[in-house]
Amino acid sequence: MKIDCVCTSWYASVRTLRPDSLMEANNDVALDIIITNVVSVFRTRCHLNLRTIALEGSNVIYKPEVGKVLMKLRKPRITASIWSSGKIICTGATSEEEAKLGARRLARCLQKLGFKVKFTAFKVVNVLAVCTMPFHIHLIQFTKNNRPIASYEPELHPAASYRIKNLKATVQVFSTGSITVTGPNVRHVAMAVEQIYPLLFECKSTMR
Amino acid sequence: MLSNSNTVSKLYMSVIDDVIESVRELFQDEGIEDRVLEDLRQLWESKVMQSKAVEGFMKGPINPNNFVLQLPANYAQTLHKPTASIVIPAGQTLQNFTTKANGSGALATFSLPPGVSYPVQIPAGVTLQTSSGHLYKVNVPVMVTQAPASNRILPQPIQHVMEPREQVAPQGAVASVAPTAVLQTIPPPAADTYTPAAPSTTLLHPSEPQPVPHQQHLFLGQGGALQPPGALQPQLTLPAVPQPPPLPTPAPVTPDSPGDDEFTLDGIEFSPQPLDMSQPSPFAAQLSSGQACGGQLGAGREEVGQDGGGSLPVNAGEAKAQLVEPAKLEMDLMRDFNYNDLEALQQLDGACDSTSEEEAEEEEVEGGAGADEDEFLGMINAEALKALQEAEGSSEDDGSSSDSDALDDAVEEVEEDPLNSGDDVSEQDVPDLFDTDNVVVCQYDKIHRSKNRWKFYLKDGVMCFGGKDYVFSKAVGEAEW
Repeated sequence: MKIDCVCTSWYASVRTLRPDSLMEANNDVALDIIITNVVSVFRTRCHLNLRTIALEGSNVIYKPEVGKVLMKLRKPRITASIWSSGKIICTGATSEEEAKLGARRLARCLQKLGFKVKFTAFKVVNVLAVCTMPFHIHLIQFTKNNRPIASYEPELHPAASYRIKNLKATVQVFSTGSITVTGPNVRHVAMAVEQIYPLLFECKSTMR
Repeated sequence: MLSNSNTVSKLYMSVIDDVIESVRELFQDEGIEDRVLEDLRQLWESKVMQSKAVEGFMKGPINPNNFVLQLPANYAQTLHKPTASIVIPAGQTLQNFTTKANGSGALATFSLPPGVSYPVQIPAGVTLQTSSGHLYKVNVPVMVTQAPASNRILPQPIQHVMEPREQVAPQGAVASVAPTAVLQTIPPPAADTYTPAAPSTTLLHPSEPQPVPHQQHLFLGQGGALQPPGALQPQLTLPAVPQPPPLPTPAPVTPDSPGDDEFTLDGIEFSPQPLDMSQPSPFAAQLSSGQACGGQLGAGREEVGQDGGGSLPVNAGEAKAQLVEPAKLEMDLMRDFNYNDLEALQQLDGACDSTSEEEAEEEEVEGGAGADEDEFLGMINAEALKALQEAEGSSEDDGSSSDSDALDDAVEEVEEDPLNSGDDVSEQDVPDLFDTDNVVVCQYDKIHRSKNRWKFYLKDGVMCFGGKDYVFSKAVGEAEW
């Protein structure tokens, strides 16, 4: 199986993977892995006064009940949760590079507000991607085949979830053939797709 | 918007009144003279006027009426006004009509001929309709004069002229002649009908309609010297029975300020109102002294402004005409009279009103937000991840627990990554898209956001938009970010 990455635009901001490293030749199938969300964190190493940010910053939402400020950026369309400890979680990016760029822009904004921020400890913590198989999947059979690793509780959730421990990735498999993959970074996500494809292929139901 | 300016004026006036009254005692206790308090009040009022946030102060309640009076683009001159009826003296096109002084009556539509010039006396209960279609109800007998009766801020050309005349006279009462009479302009460049603005022999009675030759400049006549164009009209000194002298010259229009109209309210105490300069270009172009100001007493400026768009072309066309352009002026004046009780007020708020104009919106922040420090960094991660919406399904929750492990590892390897002072970190592309002065100060019922769609449910606020103030008790808005 070959996983190709095509740049499709599902939202305006969605990106797809380009895992050149992932080459496996099982079938001649091109799979589009579309990254929908990248979550990252970084630290400013300084205390941030949330009230100041809320009053003077632009495009901010103050949530005093939770103790954080949301700041939204337009250019890389990201939303950042800012805590007074200086920890910032940045979400909404569509690629790792974009996440880093957005995080830096954000730190720059805070710097302009007067805080002595340092851009430290930037890390992508979560990547969410979706992928669609060209076939439907028989979830019960899939779960049976992968008994301990896959779990399926149709009354709770319509998807079977498959955790790949070594990759620390989770794949949710829907009967329509769509899957969502979350992992610590893009590479892991791509690897997870690769790994799970053959398992899905075995359980494909010929409805599609 | 018709009555908005009136509302705002009254509201502000009542605020000022309340405050002054309530501090009066305090001032006295402190041993400060009342004069100081009065000075404060004057300062306050003048500042509000100057800011042009309000159209001017109108005082007094007004009762609407059923008559609809169509004001032509140009006013011909004088109306004769018996106490209860209004008669528009003619030029050929002038028509006479009588209206009921107050009262309900059938809806009658009269059209003022184009030649009507100011001042025009409108009896109470008349609804005026400008050429642009705006309706204004006259609740009290009103005389539309050309002189600015109040300290309106005149449009540029006349500004200097007007300023000194601020004082406007005592408010007022029908009997008071002086203030209302104002009007007069500086010797117009080419006025056929123009009569030199001499303080004149004629007393302009507020209730009297005076034909006023509008020329570029308006001046406040003491006691209202109004010179009818070309002809001295016998002035009626009797307030009660103003007899507008027949207006001889209707037609030729000297370049006159269309905006010269000015309404004076009979029996309505009015204070000098600053002329609004809000109409800038069209009038300025036309050189009409009164135009922009419209000589209205507290006429809703914004109305003028709004009408300006529609009426300007009309006015422009008639700019040449020396007669006033009805559109703004009358309407503005009328607006003041239209103010009823609050019930009759038009509400600015409404569903689907887009307040996207507002540039900045200040909300009341609930108390001082207690700073809830998040002590536990490790847990923050999990919580934060959970709190982040847009997680597709529960995948994020699944990932968070495994992520926290990874994060802990990463914490140790803290790396200093210099921000380079923004070299690579570019500025926000549009730092502040448009930093306007349109501000809304209000309280909020609910602010809601979905993705990038915002919905605002606001209450009890004041909106400063385009330099004008609007007051609302409820406002609903939608915006996209």
